[in-house]
Amino acid sequence: MKIEVQHLSCIYNRGTAGEVRALDDISFTIESGSFTGIIGHTGSGKSTLVQHLNGLMKPFSGKVLLGDTDIGASGVHMAEIRRRVGLVFQYPEYQLFEETVAEDIAFGPKNMGLDEQEQEDRVREAMATVGLDYAEFASRSPFELSGGQKRRVAIAGVIAMRPDVLILDEPAAGLDPAAHREMLRMISRFHQERGCTILLVSHNMDDVAEYCGQVLVMDQGKLLYSGTPREVFAHREELEAIGLGLPAGAELLHLMNQRGAEPGGKGALTDAEAAAAVLEWLGKQETC
Amino acid sequence: MLRDITLGQYYPVDSVIHRLDPRVKIIAVFTWLVLIFFIRDFTGYIFVTAVLAVVTAVSRVPVRFMARGMRPILFILLFTFVINLITYPGTVLARLGPVTITDTGLQQAVFIAIRLILLIFGTSLLTYTTKPVGLTDGFEAILSPLSRIGVPSHEIAMMMSIALRFIPTLLSEADKTMKAQQARGADFESGGLIHRARSMMPLLIPLFVNAFRMAADLAMAMEARCYHGGKGRTRLHPMKFAARDYAACALLILFAVLVIVQSRGLLPIPQIWKL
Repeated sequence: MKIEVQHLSCIYNRGTAGEVRALDDISFTIESGSFTGIIGHTGSGKSTLVQHLNGLMKPFSGKVLLGDTDIGASGVHMAEIRRRVGLVFQYPEYQLFEETVAEDIAFGPKNMGLDEQEQEDRVREAMATVGLDYAEFASRSPFELSGGQKRRVAIAGVIAMRPDVLILDEPAAGLDPAAHREMLRMISRFHQERGCTILLVSHNMDDVAEYCGQVLVMDQGKLLYSGTPREVFAHREELEAIGLGLPAGAELLHLMNQRGAEPGGKGALTDAEAAAAVLEWLGKQETC
Repeated sequence: MLRDITLGQYYPVDSVIHRLDPRVKIIAVFTWLVLIFFIRDFTGYIFVTAVLAVVTAVSRVPVRFMARGMRPILFILLFTFVINLITYPGTVLARLGPVTITDTGLQQAVFIAIRLILLIFGTSLLTYTTKPVGLTDGFEAILSPLSRIGVPSHEIAMMMSIALRFIPTLLSEADKTMKAQQARGADFESGGLIHRARSMMPLLIPLFVNAFRMAADLAMAMEARCYHGGKGRTRLHPMKFAARDYAACALLILFAVLVIVQSRGLLPIPQIWKL
């Protein structure tokens, strides 16, 4: 599902001493079925932005179009918007509340008014997607699971609503490296299998470079850059100035270039691309 | 929605009221609470409301902001008003089935409503103009004479400051959880009373779990920094009385005397609508 944001602004604590302009005239388009990353340092407005995309926050000014629907317009069915745009908050494991994993995941489908059989099908499907075995976990209490498992339960709770757009706010924050990799692979798999539009809010430049087709860079409530990872990460100095950086691979090539070695590999971003560039350069060195 | 709860928050501007010694402000608020109950007529209300208005203006906390803080207690206000209105005997003004409104009832209802509003506005001014740290230090200083007879004044003050400190944290936590459940289609606004109470479960359970988690984390962090209670602790900002604090005390005493004298009918001005 296509998302179009036009001149969106948002102001917190209007008219008081603590007034903050959280979003300032933001416009962009996200194509249906794409995988988009949103980066920006803490407080740049990423979380506020994503809350506008499923109608949890109303635009102060500007528009959010979901397909052809203006979600700020009166008479729009909010429950339907929230079903179509699934939002997984930061540390979603803190929102679990039911007695069993299955019941917690079924909360969304239940609110949609689905019958019990359909609810169970959705729970099974969602658990399979996030890699939790139904027989093993369905009847356990979510509070006795490990942190990573809890998070997968919480994400399954959103996936079970079969959203057309899935927004994840730092889904890998606080996970160990193995769980981090697994989480991103899972999201990528979900994206490919379902053709679901994905928005990934992240602090991890490597993830963004590896998985995203489009990147939005936020700074102080403004949209600073938008484009492919290659276009965005070409602005190395500007990104560093706002507390971001390059993916590790690109950073390595940059440092090598700075020190006089010239492995080339211009535009390489990920570890794999950088490794290939360095190997090629080493090969050349050896031959001549 | 939860962002609207301003009651008990600190409003960060600079004013004479903000700079007053917390001890003075705490004593002033307690005096205010007691004095409000002395008042028996509308002349008294007009006088104290005028004083409150002046103090509020000096504090530079916008009235609109304070009024927004009143919203959560509007229900209680309305409830007491209605109960008072229909439960007093006296000359009947209006009748609706078994419900009668009497002149004393009306007077009592208006009186209590004004009293509640004044109480809340007055006390909220304390928290709007005093940082939690100041409040706690003030309370501790005021309670400290009692520690000789075994009252754990430091511990009480510390518990208070932690409670105050966590109000905004819990509010933002509640806001976040509410949004997360709304994103899963939860509906907190429609339905009957029972349905609504039930629909709060997805909000309350995570909130409780998180509150306990935060409490445990905080206890651990305090112990890691060798917290062991009040004994031998020194202060970063020792409280000192300045000239403005003495002046404020003098004004407070003057105010208290005026209110008491007026409420006894000893002033040569008429007491309007005396109860």
